[in-house]
Amino acid sequence: MPDYELKLVKSMEYKRPEIDKGYVDQTLYVNLSDQELAVKPVDPKTKDVFIGGKGYDLWLLWNAVEPTTRWDDPQNAVCIASGPLGGTPIYPGSGKSIVTTLSPLTGSVIDSNVGGYFGPYLKFSGFDALEIQGQAAEDTVIFIDGIEQQVQILSAVGLPKNAYDLSNRLTEHFAAGKPRSISVVSAGPGAENTLIGCLNFTWYDVKRKRARYKQAGRGGIGTVFARKGIKALVVRWDTVTADTNNPSDKAVLKDVAKRYSREIVELDPKQNEMSRIGTTHLVTIMNDHDLLPTHNFRYGSHPQAPNLGQQVYRLLFDPGFDGCWMGCTVACSHGVKDFVPLTGPFKGRKVFVDGPEYETIAGCGSNLGIFDPNTVVEINFYCDAYGLDTISVGTALAFAMECFELGLINESHTGGIDLSFGNRLSALKIVHQMAAAEGFGRIVGQGVRKMKEIFAGEFGADPIIMADIGMEAKGLEFSEYMTKESLAQQGGYGLALKGPQHDEAWLIFLDMVHNFMPTFEQKAEALHWFPMFRTWFSLCGLCKLPWNDIVPEDNKDTAEPAKVMKHVNWYADYFSAVTGRSSTPDDLIKMSEAVYNFQRIFNLKMGFGRREHDALPYRAVGPVTELEYESRAERYDTQLQEKFAVDISGKTSAEKLALLRQFRQDQYEKLKDAVYRRRGWTADGIPTVEKVKSLGIDFPQVIELLRANGVQS
Amino acid sequence: MIKVSDKTVTWQAGMTITDLLKEIDDDHPYAVVRINDRYIARPDFDRTAIPNNSEVFLIPMIAGG
Repeated sequence: MPDYELKLVKSMEYKRPEIDKGYVDQTLYVNLSDQELAVKPVDPKTKDVFIGGKGYDLWLLWNAVEPTTRWDDPQNAVCIASGPLGGTPIYPGSGKSIVTTLSPLTGSVIDSNVGGYFGPYLKFSGFDALEIQGQAAEDTVIFIDGIEQQVQILSAVGLPKNAYDLSNRLTEHFAAGKPRSISVVSAGPGAENTLIGCLNFTWYDVKRKRARYKQAGRGGIGTVFARKGIKALVVRWDTVTADTNNPSDKAVLKDVAKRYSREIVELDPKQNEMSRIGTTHLVTIMNDHDLLPTHNFRYGSHPQAPNLGQQVYRLLFDPGFDGCWMGCTVACSHGVKDFVPLTGPFKGRKVFVDGPEYETIAGCGSNLGIFDPNTVVEINFYCDAYGLDTISVGTALAFAMECFELGLINESHTGGIDLSFGNRLSALKIVHQMAAAEGFGRIVGQGVRKMKEIFAGEFGADPIIMADIGMEAKGLEFSEYMTKESLAQQGGYGLALKGPQHDEAWLIFLDMVHNFMPTFEQKAEALHWFPMFRTWFSLCGLCKLPWNDIVPEDNKDTAEPAKVMKHVNWYADYFSAVTGRSSTPDDLIKMSEAVYNFQRIFNLKMGFGRREHDALPYRAVGPVTELEYESRAERYDTQLQEKFAVDISGKTSAEKLALLRQFRQDQYEKLKDAVYRRRGWTADGIPTVEKVKSLGIDFPQVIELLRANGVQS
Repeated sequence: MIKVSDKTVTWQAGMTITDLLKEIDDDHPYAVVRINDRYIARPDFDRTAIPNNSEVFLIPMIAGG
């Protein structure tokens, strides 16, 4: 007898449409407050403008919420979609799901792009997107059975709280002997008890005979999911082939997919070896370029960083095929087998850990002053099992540690925990406290923005220094790259729609190392093209890694190597071959531009989306303390003299620090001006009426909103 | 001998990555190269000697994220 019970509350039979060129043209609506289940058609205008994936999510969410809706209102929706190319097993990186909701951290729209089988299986089951509103009165599982063409709402009692056991238990429960036919989405107790919860999306590992997972990490999506009373989403689908998505031109699709796959198989071993070591190669590379965050983004390198590098994880990772979608030749989702945690509820039990990736290593390792790879693996394991975003955990904990070291908080606030940088057991203790809603972990789990308020309001800490060192923008914690020496990447973070996440633009090397874009206009051009192209992956259900992490050998000799145009052309061919909508690379950019501008306007609807909301904490821009300045004094002195024509003779570090700050902040404001101009926005960062008309997003509510915000033309 | 991009280059004692790039007449601004399974970043090109019988991989672009 199982030690849990799933009881049917409501079910709905539906007819699964045939997939037509990557689409089924309907979405599934679930309201948990009144157990409503409904199928909604997708109209041609929505399909034309929003394409799919994040575009569909945004449109559903826009229509679900009001400007006054808060993240924890039942009216808020969790929307999940893949995209027209999602679920293609022969083209690398084609199995992504995109999740959107109103974030508990930012109060506005958040989106996250995640691997695993859920999105493609959802589409093959008959739904381009899933929209969940309402709030369940009891723990709920939603089961979408694409084979039997039935959706069920089930009440759940006795299921494991942690996502690790829950994922495997539900896979087994619904699999009917075919575990590969199942994908589970779940959060965990950490998501329930903090504002930084993530979602775990499973894929089934046939060789290791277990459900594994990837995370939709950013912005507290898992927290919204948990607040709705959702224990898990489960989808069941049958076999997937190149025909399942019913592409418009299968011959062209096969041809371009074969070329891409072959290139990756040939070149990945010669380049970043992602199929062997994932993204861990970045650790030492970032460290060597002074870009690896250490000690709450104070510094960009540390002598012990190689302890967390690819040479170590190469030994720790269990070799084998680790693709989070079928047939992906990048296959970078590595994990550690038979890991035995030293703390917490899994102490002494052998587990399989999915990860770590670069972000987790930097966030929960170097940025905390922790250089022990096994501690990073343990934090990684518990964050996933508890449903916590490793990036927000790392950045929030790093901030708390620096506040502790600066004496802004002390052991009377932390419950006796020594939060000095490098204290591994303290870091783990805080993670366990987050999941249990106990002690100081409960405060850290509120994220950096709320911590600043609590530390100032309740502990009397200095708000001015915390504003400089608290690494959040728009309320979201920074992901794990140093930006002090790259103005373009300051824009990449500061101007990102959802907050400082690198999936919109990663320009550090182009800007800082290669100096490919010395002028404001060149930076602005990059901050137009790259966010637009990267957005396109999330419209279509794709991963961006195959685009520019494995590149053709002759790419360096092309006119614009950073764009990897050979691949961009292949993506245009891929989109045309699946959807039958003949497209060029410029068309892909236009598709994204419409959705990107719509998301900016969505921010405006929620009370954000203006110039003031694109602000950065000063530590993202330059050295905050004299200590930071003096650690790279030669670099900063040279800049003051050569770039800003300052005579530094006789000046103290404090004086030079202040001057540098003035210059750098001024540069960031100039960058904003240039980017807004390039994007067709007002000086306040709002898309113009003319712009939205040209993009076909001049819906009456959009025009009304722009006019209400003083934008007339 | 050193193997680099499917070519072979005669190894010389003390040969650095900078020396190797000169030898093969490649002026691309690589941010990183890999010697066997060890990644070397540009700031260290001048001071990293390549062992004999190594395989060197020129990483075309680090695009990150």
